[in-house]
Amino acid sequence: MRRFNSQTLILIGATLFVLYLAGVPLLMLLYGSIRSAPIGEPGATFTIQNYVKAYFDKEFYFLFLNSIYYGVGTCIVTSLIGTYLAWVSERTNTPFKKLFVVMALIPFIIPGILSTISWILLLSPKIGLINLVIKELLGLESAPFNIYSMWGMIWAESIHLYPLVFLLMSAAFRNMDTSLEEAALTAGSSTFTTFRRVTLPLMRPAMFSVLLVIFIRGIEAFEVPALVGVPAKISVFTTKIFLAIHQFPSDFGLAGAYAVTLLLISTTGVLIYGRITRREDRYATVTGKGYRPRVIDLGGWKYVTCAISFLIFLLAVILPVFVLLWSSFIPYYGVPSRELMGKMTWANFHYILNYPLALTAFKNSFYLSVGSATVVMLLTSVIAWITVKTKLPGRALLDNMTFIPIAMPGIVLGVSLIWVYLTLPIPIYGTIWVLLLAYITKFMPYGIRAASASMIQINKELEEASLTAGGTWFQTFRKVILPLLMPGFTAGWIYISIIALRELSTSILLYSYNSTVLSIMAFDLWEGGQYTYVCALGVLMVLLLLVMAFIARKLGAKIGIAE
Amino acid sequence: MAEKRDMVQIDSLEKYFGEDKERVHVLKGVSLNIPEGSLYTFLGPSGCGKTTTLRCVAGLERPDGGRISIGGHTVFAFGERVYVPTNKRPIGMVFQSYAIWPHMTVSENVAYPLTIQRRSKDEIRRRVGDVLKVVGLDGLEDRPAPKLSGGQQQRVAFARALINEPKVMLLDEPLSNLDARLRVQMRSEIKSLQRRTSITTIFVTHDQAEALAISDQIAVMHGGKLIEVGAPHQLYARPTRRFTATFLGLTNLIEGKVVELDGDSKPGKIQTKKGLLTFIPAPGLKKDQAAVISIRPENIPLHKEKPQGLENVLEGTIKEAIFMGDAYQCKVAVGDDLLAVHTHPFNAVSPGEKVYLYLDPGSCNGLPADDTEGIDETMLGD
Repeated sequence: MRRFNSQTLILIGATLFVLYLAGVPLLMLLYGSIRSAPIGEPGATFTIQNYVKAYFDKEFYFLFLNSIYYGVGTCIVTSLIGTYLAWVSERTNTPFKKLFVVMALIPFIIPGILSTISWILLLSPKIGLINLVIKELLGLESAPFNIYSMWGMIWAESIHLYPLVFLLMSAAFRNMDTSLEEAALTAGSSTFTTFRRVTLPLMRPAMFSVLLVIFIRGIEAFEVPALVGVPAKISVFTTKIFLAIHQFPSDFGLAGAYAVTLLLISTTGVLIYGRITRREDRYATVTGKGYRPRVIDLGGWKYVTCAISFLIFLLAVILPVFVLLWSSFIPYYGVPSRELMGKMTWANFHYILNYPLALTAFKNSFYLSVGSATVVMLLTSVIAWITVKTKLPGRALLDNMTFIPIAMPGIVLGVSLIWVYLTLPIPIYGTIWVLLLAYITKFMPYGIRAASASMIQINKELEEASLTAGGTWFQTFRKVILPLLMPGFTAGWIYISIIALRELSTSILLYSYNSTVLSIMAFDLWEGGQYTYVCALGVLMVLLLLVMAFIARKLGAKIGIAE
Repeated sequence: MAEKRDMVQIDSLEKYFGEDKERVHVLKGVSLNIPEGSLYTFLGPSGCGKTTTLRCVAGLERPDGGRISIGGHTVFAFGERVYVPTNKRPIGMVFQSYAIWPHMTVSENVAYPLTIQRRSKDEIRRRVGDVLKVVGLDGLEDRPAPKLSGGQQQRVAFARALINEPKVMLLDEPLSNLDARLRVQMRSEIKSLQRRTSITTIFVTHDQAEALAISDQIAVMHGGKLIEVGAPHQLYARPTRRFTATFLGLTNLIEGKVVELDGDSKPGKIQTKKGLLTFIPAPGLKKDQAAVISIRPENIPLHKEKPQGLENVLEGTIKEAIFMGDAYQCKVAVGDDLLAVHTHPFNAVSPGEKVYLYLDPGSCNGLPADDTEGIDETMLGD
């Protein structure tokens, strides 16, 4: 019996890599948070001083409350918008509902930093377009809206996150057995009563898990708190961690203590979420019966729902996209006017494309996004094979390990990796490689979800047929499993490459001049007050994202099964 | 004819599924020898261990005891920690689902075993052409696999298993996904293909008619154990185990006690509730032992007048007579029992008629009554 064949080597290698990626940062974060000084400095000892400093700061409670308000507020606004749009487009005869699906997903492709900037440009009391227009129209003294407030922050975050609610709730509406509603109607209840007494209660478990996801995403969010919260002096955990590291001298221990706290909150959320959805999976929906969602005839009300939907899109899509486009073509920031129209120019784009760092940033972002998506999908395909197709002991643990980073807010991962690569004798700190490892770690959970879902669909006999035909495990994996996995592989790849291109919260703690990425460049330009340049950069980023998604779709269709 | 050597030898195979408390003993010491060039069938109800045994031969399952050799080479031996992985065994396998890879064309599927050996393009093209001709699929080389019918997919699966000239072909219920008409057609095709290539073939099925029609030898299995091995005719006409008698086709069982014996396979006498009957005892049956007689419905000629000068004649009343075209299937009440009797359509019968049944002594198989392996699960005669 040969003990070390290619199968054993690949399986062991992939497993060790996952353990390293998911486990080491966690351990180093915990370790670092109880050290008195950064590792490597002489005289560092074990201490609980960091936690004392963090928790006995009177600001801590404001911090905690702010984070909770922010998370809960975002939940409320996103679920109202997302559920409404999902219901309208899945279950009603509202006109233009096909268009709504596309519109609802547009904010998905706009990086968080850009959507935040667009809302500052719209709602800032001094320069916000909406404020300026309303002030002029109504002759008001002061601006009616202020982005630099808790509600301003919640609004900006919600517009960025509601597509997630829309997607999850659309799926929930689609999977619901409509005969349950029909039973209520035949029992004599009205459309509205049916919605209130049957539909909503049925949706409650789905709704709750969606709220939890949004809450976690809300307290992990970095872009809005950094760009809006910091000037408004509204601190949340993520910005506090960022500031602890960005101050001089950096307080890594304090950042670690806050990061551990944030990690505990988000882990709790993820664990509850896991419990709820597991129960859902076990009892509901997957019957293999194709439900055809019953469409509700709204009568005259369908024009009202249509109008409300367009109003939402005006606010959530059209205004932000417009303000980005508009600002990218004007020489200085201002309300659209005949005078400014005449001054429209390509100068901002010229500036960006000739900016010394721009080419580096474009290249880095591109390599990182393609590289991390490819590595993650290859790695998680192997892991998914282990967890789905084998009976090896410890496979459930491996699955969980791959999933751990989902509970790690980007900024926490950044802090952890600083600790890791300042300590371990691996000389990649400050290079693009540390960013690559960070991205792989962060996006592993998305990869494993896509890969396992498709792996489950592959009949075991397809693989056994290759073995009985004389194929080795490696040949079987490459020639049979990977091609059959291709649709899921491609979907996961596209998703990861898109979110990788917008990544900011982890990169911002790990980049150096030579490893700058696009979102960092946008952040720096914004901090430097160069609004019009940021917008030009943003437009280029979105174009790049669209092209990537398009190419990946074409490629995937060619490699995967033709049908 | 020269003595054929055994191509596959299976010795005391043990296998468990599951862990700890949910551990199930699925193979309980199965031993089999499969002669070279034969079409050998594993037959049994679902859960009997037939597929597991096959998968152990393929190396897709690793047994928990015993040994397996193929063509004289040990591929698995528990004590000596020998385990040859599936891809190194000289086998070809056809799966229940056919397992045709949907991302490849017909010829890519069939060529796979050669492609991974990096054979030359010319050789591959030639051999794929040859084997597709054998299974009757020539001309479909470039058809994408998902565009094939069920029967065609199965031929592709056969071609793929054959192309590497395996020593043993393993067929895991290959006909169960086909419709009834195609199943009968493919059944004879498999048989003639096996005759032509004379590759040792193991065929797994739960369908006794299929097993009888196709096999050189049948191994009847139940509950993880081997019950009986024999040629189809032998197993059907002269079963030595009660499970074989009841699982293969329909039979009537009459209980009694052996009163007279004249040695193996010679007629003896048994005392039953229906009187003294002449029968052929199974090997090992002893005098005074409790026994059952198994007799097939088609071996009971039905007379309207009492036949003269014959023994083993019982008197009964027709309770049910179903006309099947080629036969009447009757239920005849004899005393408290109902016997199943199939009679030629010349012999029109109707319920209520009084008839005489001749239990052909040569077809009355006496089996030990205490051989209850697998009996409680199989409904008898009803």
